[in-house]
Amino acid sequence: MQIIRCAALAAALALLPGVAYPQGKTAPKDAKLYFITPRDGQKVRGGFWVRFGLRNMGVTHAGDEYQNAGHHHLLVDVNDPIDPKEPIPQDKSHLHFGAGQTETLLELPPGMHTLQLVLGDAKHYPFEPPVVSEKITIRVRQPVERGR
Amino acid sequence: MGEIRNFRSGNHDEPPPHGSMPRRLAAIIVGDIASYSRLMQADEEGTHVRVKRIERDLIEPSIVEHHGTLVKTTGDGFIAIFDSPVEAVRCSIVIQQNLVGRNASLPKDSRIEYRIGVNLGDVIVEPDDVYGDGVNIATRIEGIAEPGQVYISGAIYEQIKHKVVCGYESLGDRKVKNITDPVRVYRVLPDADAVGRTRGRRENTLIFLLGVTLLVIASGVLWYLLAQPSGRVREQAAAPTAAPVASPSPQPAPREAATQTPQPSPSLAASSPSPAPAPSASAPSAPAPSASAPSASASSASTSSPAPSPSATPFREPEMIAIRGGSFAMGSNDDPTERPVHQVTVKPFSIGKYPVTVQEWNECAAAKACGFTAIGKDDAPITNVSWTDAQQYAAWLARTTKKSYRLPSEAEWEYAARGGTQTKYWWGDKLQPGMAGCKDCGDLAAEQPAKVGSFKPNPFGLHDMGGGVDQWVEDCWRRTYQGAPGDGSAWTGGDCSSHVLRSGSWKNDSRYVRPSNRDGYDTNVRYPTHGFRVALSP
Repeated sequence: MQIIRCAALAAALALLPGVAYPQGKTAPKDAKLYFITPRDGQKVRGGFWVRFGLRNMGVTHAGDEYQNAGHHHLLVDVNDPIDPKEPIPQDKSHLHFGAGQTETLLELPPGMHTLQLVLGDAKHYPFEPPVVSEKITIRVRQPVERGR
Repeated sequence: MGEIRNFRSGNHDEPPPHGSMPRRLAAIIVGDIASYSRLMQADEEGTHVRVKRIERDLIEPSIVEHHGTLVKTTGDGFIAIFDSPVEAVRCSIVIQQNLVGRNASLPKDSRIEYRIGVNLGDVIVEPDDVYGDGVNIATRIEGIAEPGQVYISGAIYEQIKHKVVCGYESLGDRKVKNITDPVRVYRVLPDADAVGRTRGRRENTLIFLLGVTLLVIASGVLWYLLAQPSGRVREQAAAPTAAPVASPSPQPAPREAATQTPQPSPSLAASSPSPAPAPSASAPSAPAPSASAPSASASSASTSSPAPSPSATPFREPEMIAIRGGSFAMGSNDDPTERPVHQVTVKPFSIGKYPVTVQEWNECAAAKACGFTAIGKDDAPITNVSWTDAQQYAAWLARTTKKSYRLPSEAEWEYAARGGTQTKYWWGDKLQPGMAGCKDCGDLAAEQPAKVGSFKPNPFGLHDMGGGVDQWVEDCWRRTYQGAPGDGSAWTGGDCSSHVLRSGSWKNDSRYVRPSNRDGYDTNVRYPTHGFRVALSP
């Protein structure tokens, strides 16, 4: 009897990763994702810090299946809408912060750029409803010649 | 956005221009001596000396040993932060257990006992202090801990419950001073005897199962000895290597089928036979013969005939192609991360003809050496692996085959991907369909990556060097090649919280297919487009 139970348990554990992942984890309605810095319309020069603010949810590592927690993604100059059925893309305009980072030093070429934050769940899917910040616009000025 | 340069928060090596307030996720340990005032009253100098000695001899070294940082010591306690919750709890247990030993010979009222609280939280780290909600909660948890005990928060418990083998007693949700939400608290029971009945039952089950297994094996051996004529047994014993299945250690020596490679032939995309379902779970003890023939042309020639059924060899070694060393211009001016273009000389090496497949990965998983069992077609590339996962596979493969399998260096990867060309793509400067798997490479966009070898091989006979799946290499991520080595070795060292990805994936656009394209990603994070291929030193 015990053997059967153990075998069943082992089988269940082995099959666990095969269980379809329910996409679109729910997020609390009052969750708020925002930029601490920079502010909308700010002019910056050279490398600048981007700090991510999150209210009523927690920041955790990618892969952690906590309720009401996720990790940050910074979208730079992205115009495509967020697809809730797909993992947040990973490329040079979708920066991932899966180690639980809450800030990054960004260096962008001079000109206008948009920034937006999207919170992803353990498997990098957006929440349901999506937890996103406002899309802000910043202007990067021509760098001053630095002597190094 | 080719122009964006991203600095991971841990990776900058210059002070931030706008004043620093580095926030990070950390496991915080707060320790505090119980009845410190009473001890000080009884023997001020003696207590002070003893506390300092404990800090110097036990607490500081334990924290360093577990890769933590001692933020500060207060008169009667300390605060330390750790990147890893597992290490933080291990460190706490080590401190408490050592203190038991130190206190054993002392009368009860002069023992120095610490209460320890551990919490996971987002904190602001200053050179000599640490701030934030997470620290306050750790302090509160420490406050309700019994002397000599380690109490942890629910967040820590979730992280370590399957990793640190000891008991945990849930103390429920506790309301703590000045913190709005109740905090779930667990008591750590490092002593096996103190662990509750659950653990005992689980252990009994395991011992029972082990007993049954041993019994089955023993009776099998007994039956074998009795049922077989004794002469044959002796013969078997004299030449155990003759039976490949019986040998528990891998046989690196080439066997008779050395020219046959177990991979399906991918260059014949239309008529390519799918690999026979090999019983991958059964003993991975007989490695397939190595395909790392001395010259690249020889191995690629062997693929032009459909590969035979590999069912005879349950263990599949990835098919390798030998690359002659050489010198090339690494990098490009298309993206800031690829600058400066620099001359690199690579030594001869072998590299996987394809990215590691689901089937190859699952043999490692079956051997309990890789983190998870992948689902998907056998000849699909393995995906959703972190750099650490890829390292585990390479280490397992090296152990099992007794060959020096490893991840390629970034320079080796680019040299192999270019295939001797200096054009934008290995086939020229213009995009062509059928060459690589990417979002706009001319073929239909797909939900999944194509099976390995669906696209044309490059001049070195390598498939999917560009497009398909992103591929981890050995090097730490740095945002430019400034200071990169010129000898083809992996550029490691420094703070290495992210590593380099090459190739771009089927979800990226054609800019990412270029052999010089590079990006960095967190070392321990899995993502559905990330895979890898292995390399082999001669």
